[in-house]
This record gives sequence, structure tokens and C-alpha cells, in this order.
Amino acid sequence: MNRRQFVAGAAAVGTAITGFPAIANAQASGPIKLGIPTILSGRVAQLGISSTNAVQMVVDAFNANGGLDGRPVDLLIRDTKAKPDEAARVTRDFVNSDQVDVVFNCEASSASFAVQEVVREAGTLCLHNVSETSSLSADPAIRSPNSFRFARQGIHDAVGSARYAAGIAKEKGLKKWMSVSPDYAYGRDNTDLFFKLLNQFGGDDIEVVGNGWPKLFQPDYTEVITQILQRRPDAVYSALWGGDLVSFIDQANLYGMFGSIEFFTINLADYTTMSALRDLPEGLHSGTRYISSFPDIEANRSFDTAYVERFDDHPTNWSWECKVGIEFLLAAMTEAGTADGAQVADALRGMTRPSIIGVGPDNSVTMRGDDQTLINYAVGWGTTVAEEPFVTNIQAADWADIVEHETAWKQELGYI
Amino acid sequence: MRRSGPIRDMIFGLGVFVLLALLYVLVDDAFVHDIIIKTCIFSIFALSLNLLIGYLGLVAFGHAAFFAAGAYVFGLFMQSEYVGPDSAWAIPFGVLLAMVGSAVLAAAIGAICIRAKAIYFSFLTLAFQMILYSAILAAVPITGGDQGLMGGFPKPVFLGIDLAEASHMYMFCAALAIIAALIMRQVVESPFGYVLRMLRDNPDRAAFLGLKVKLYQWITFVLAGTLASLAGVLQSLLDIGAFPEWAFWAKSAEPLFMILLGGMQTFLGPVLGAFIFEVLNAVVTAHTRYYGLVLGAVILFFALGLRRGLGDYIWQLVSDRREASGRADA
Repeated sequence: MNRRQFVAGAAAVGTAITGFPAIANAQASGPIKLGIPTILSGRVAQLGISSTNAVQMVVDAFNANGGLDGRPVDLLIRDTKAKPDEAARVTRDFVNSDQVDVVFNCEASSASFAVQEVVREAGTLCLHNVSETSSLSADPAIRSPNSFRFARQGIHDAVGSARYAAGIAKEKGLKKWMSVSPDYAYGRDNTDLFFKLLNQFGGDDIEVVGNGWPKLFQPDYTEVITQILQRRPDAVYSALWGGDLVSFIDQANLYGMFGSIEFFTINLADYTTMSALRDLPEGLHSGTRYISSFPDIEANRSFDTAYVERFDDHPTNWSWECKVGIEFLLAAMTEAGTADGAQVADALRGMTRPSIIGVGPDNSVTMRGDDQTLINYAVGWGTTVAEEPFVTNIQAADWADIVEHETAWKQELGYI
Repeated sequence: MRRSGPIRDMIFGLGVFVLLALLYVLVDDAFVHDIIIKTCIFSIFALSLNLLIGYLGLVAFGHAAFFAAGAYVFGLFMQSEYVGPDSAWAIPFGVLLAMVGSAVLAAAIGAICIRAKAIYFSFLTLAFQMILYSAILAAVPITGGDQGLMGGFPKPVFLGIDLAEASHMYMFCAALAIIAALIMRQVVESPFGYVLRMLRDNPDRAAFLGLKVKLYQWITFVLAGTLASLAGVLQSLLDIGAFPEWAFWAKSAEPLFMILLGGMQTFLGPVLGAFIFEVLNAVVTAHTRYYGLVLGAVILFFALGLRRGLGDYIWQLVSDRREASGRADA
């Protein structure tokens, strides 16, 4: 060995002894990075704003309490403009350039599938917090061991909706039904599933006499409203949401539609939607997206109050989903004592925690281990009133019933 | 008169590939690599549209139809039962299938659209794009509807190329973009390409000279559509799926912006535009949610300030200087 080789070898050993632990320490003591792809511009910017507001509240409290052994959580929030390829690019950027510990996905619809493919390939821990499409976690060909779903699911809501509607139909003798839902996959799937289960729960008396399929973001609903008034159904079911639902209700109100027809709408009971209405008609049936009175517990009311104080607006359905997601993630990191994706994933599987939205034992929700999806969250329906709390007579869905029919649905589609 | 020859273009293309390969090796930053990959994809997309706009004078508003067609044909084939993790032939065959399928689609759409002139041509292409968009949304069992092609697909290794590897994907996109650009360069510099310019400037005179105007327009339309589908294939490979948003009218606006930014009179103008568009998108999105505001301001600067794309502006400056120095020498 010559002098040059000796010096090089000594330098290498020295680096290994002194340098590498320093690097390792720096990584372990640096901030925990969460990459959040979401929609912050365009018609559904409220999705990203209300989602990240809720995450920020939880993370600020966590960091104020010392973080994970002194490591604060750092949020990287980027707009994907509701484009799937942009969601994929932003997620790749999070994974490859920012080297985030977790992708905290606040994307809706198709962009969530784009995010899922990136994290499936990269192996980065991912939490899906907004997309309600059931197949994202139900279909074994799509889900992956590193992805967890904290958003509510279409199939869960469908069971709760149809069970409630079947009860009201029996009580009030509602036989002739119509629907008005947005003309895209969510609207059609949701409505088809609702009527399929309504027929199952409500018996042969239920008859669907017509379907209205207005385009997404359509401003004028008079055509479908007059169609409904002509056919005179006993009840109408709607999967319209956001501004579309607001426009429909405002216009249907002018025609006096709600005086003679029972109206069931799954997406009304969310503060931002209800507050956008000129007049909230009384007696409409709505699913509880997010309201502070369901579940009627102190934690839920406190969250709403704190959110309003900080952001001068109420939380949305997306807010609670993201709040639950981030709370589970931080609890799992704390339990595992690390931000390592594989260990945090192990801690997440089967985890049960109390939650503002929990209807399990002690108001808990559970991250079900076998398909890595959230269960025991509040699924309820009630009737609207013009003043706070806006929805009364809320009937909570039975989760045993939901899981039973979810299992049958999965078997039918060959998922299990 | 300076004319470019195929050999010179190929040497230039090879040089660009070597430069891009060196960039990959020297700049170990996935953010930069991603920008280059997206620039390669968008370059094919914008260059192919510029065949119609810049060289033929036909403004197509529905070019994304072929981008989406390529992505969906490729994605559906890769998800089919014929393709497994060891199907080494699958990706080359899938690329070919997507391009042939899109060429057939472009042939059919082009045969109808070129019968219309000016704005009617533009809106006919848009109408066909929206028909395709609606068909993708409606054919849920095949296309996944508004959720897109879900569940990913395998990327079998072929000829030692493993597209699951970031470096292979980078080189593959760079190579295909350069090959596509070389093909388009040869087309526009050939006698065929000069006929296109004549059709753009005075179609009546071209017809009077006995040229079959519609045939030239149709062939160019098919070529542009086929190459746009290659961009769609690469995007599909990058995102491991295909999405209906790629067939929506807003997607067709993207290559138009790139052409506006880069210029339509210089052959590589759209490539420069694609690079500016992607860098703006990546950098601005990382720092602010007001991306649309920044993009709008930049386009305004190019449209009102420079009054042309950056490529055209630079080319004009160079030409003016050459002219001035020529006059001085004389």
C-alpha cells in the first residue's frame, strides 16, 4: 500500500466513523415532510383549502407539543389544478426531489388514481383523504400495501342512504321515484347503487319513473325540474353536489317543487353548500357530510368552533376526512417512534382511535386492516331546518349493516 | 441559400441526445429530469400541431384527441390479457398499435375536417375531440369513464430497456422526441413541406397550379395526429394510465400556448415553448397557487411585448444582425 492509498483509505474510514452518523442524525432530526397534492384553483378550490386548513390545525398543535421526538412536521402543499397528469407530476416531484416521508393525498376522483400509481411504483407511504370512489381501496388490483384510505366511501354511503330512504318510503308510502344526478361516473354509479339497494330494502313497491342527468356544472335546471313536476313522483333522489346542488335547489324552490315531493339528497348537509343557498327549504332529507351536531359530541363541536375562529368559515366534509387522516398518521408515527413508511404502515393497520366523526365504541373510528380503509365514521341522514343545527332527526346508519352489504357488493364485483 | 440536409439534422439530433444524456448524468436532480421528460413529450405534441398551424395555416382546436387516443390505445393494450410482465414485445408493439390506431382515427376525422375552411375547420376538429371525450366518459367498462384507466400496467423490459428505471425512461423519451422531431424536420424541409407553405400562403394559387390541396392537407393532418399520439403514449407510460382530461378541449389549448410562447415560424420554436411552459408550470406551481395568473402574464408579455414567440424573436434578431453585418461587409 502506498502513501496515497493509505491516506485515501484513512479518509474513507474517518468519513464512515464521523460523517455518516452525522448524516443519519441530520436525517432523523430534520423535519418530517408531508407532500400534499390537492386542488387549490378553479371551481373546486374549496376542496384543497378546507382540506389543508384542517391538516394545518392538527400539525400546528403537534409541532407546538414538540413534534416527533423534536422533529416538526413540514407541509408541502401544491396545486394540481384538478389534472391527473399534474397530480402525478407533483407527486413524483414530492417523492423524488423533496423526498417526502408521506404523500398525504387530498386529490379527488381520477387524480387520486394517478397519485396511487406513482406511490405504488415508488413505495412511499400514502394516505388518500378525499376521493370517495370505492374501487380505490376495494379493488385489490388498484390498492397497494403502502396506501391507506381515510376518505368516506361510496358503497358505505349508498347502504346508509338506501336504508334510510327505504324506512321513510315505507312510513310515508313513497312508491314512485325519480332521480336527478350529475352526468358522470360518480353521479351515475351513486344513483344506480342507491336504487339497487332501495329496491332490495324497500321491496317491490318502489318504482323508478324517470332519471334526470344534467351535465356537471350546468347552470340551468329548469328542464329537469319541469320533467319532475310533469311526472309527479312521490320522491326524488339526487347525487348533485356543491354549486350544482345549490343551483338546483334554488331553482326548484321557485317552482315550489319541495311542497309536494320528498327530496333526498346525499350531499346537502355540508356548511359551505347550505350557506350558499338563498333559502334552505325545511324538510329535505340529506346525508350528513359534515355538521357539528353529528356525532353530537363535545370534540366535534369544539373542532367546528376552533376552525371557524381561525379561518372564519366552517369545516367541510373534506376537512374531517383530512383531520382524521393526519391524526392517525401522527399517532402511528408516535407509536412506531419513527417516520419510516413501512413501520408507520404497520402501526396504521387495524388502528382504532377516538375521533370527532367516530361512531364506533367510545366515538372511535378504525383503519380496517384487510383493505386499509376507514370504517365506523358517521354516516347519517336527517331532515333540514332553516336555522342551526340545520339538520335534525338524524338517523345514524348501522355499521354492521353497512359492512354486510359492502361484503356482498365486493363479492359481486369479484373483489373478494 | 442555406439548406439543411438530413445528415446535418441527424448529427444535430445526435448531439442533442448526447447533451441530454450528459445533463442526466451531471445534474442528479429528479425535478430537472422530470422537466426534461415532460418537455420531450410536449415538444412532440406542440411540433406536430405546428405542422398544421405554422406550415399549413390550419388552426386545429382538437389536437388533443390524438394525444388521448394514443394514450388510451396504448394503456388499454398494456392492461389487456395479452400483456404480462415478461412480454418483451409488448411496449414496442403497443407504441406501434397506438400510432396506427390514431393514424386511422386522424384519417377519418381529417377527411371530414379539411372540407371546411378557417374557423369552421378549427371548430370541426374541436367537435370531434369532444365526441371522443364523451365516448371515453360513456364507455365506463372499457375506459373507466371519468376515473380513467385505473390499476396501472406492467412495463416489460425490451431490448435491455427497462422503463420502470428513471434513467431508461428519460433516455427513451429523449430519443423518441428527437426521432419524431427529425421526421417532422425532414417533412417540412422537403418539397412536400414547401408545398405546405404555399398552401398556407395562397391555396387558390396552389390549386390553380394543379396541386391537390385537400390531399396535401389530409396527409399532413394524418401525420400530425399520428405523432401527437406518440406524445400521448409517452405520457401514458409516465403516468401509468390514461385520463379523460387528456381528451378535453382544455388539453388542446396547451400545445397552442407552447407555440405562442416559442414561436411558429422557427422549426424548434414549439420545443422552446414546451420547455418554457413546463418550467413555468413546475416552478410556479411549487411556490404559488396563482399559476394561471403567471401564465397569462407571460403570454401577454410575448403577445404584446415581443409580438411573437421567443424562438421567432431570437431568430429575427440573428437574421437582422446577419443582414446588418452583410451590408457592412459590402
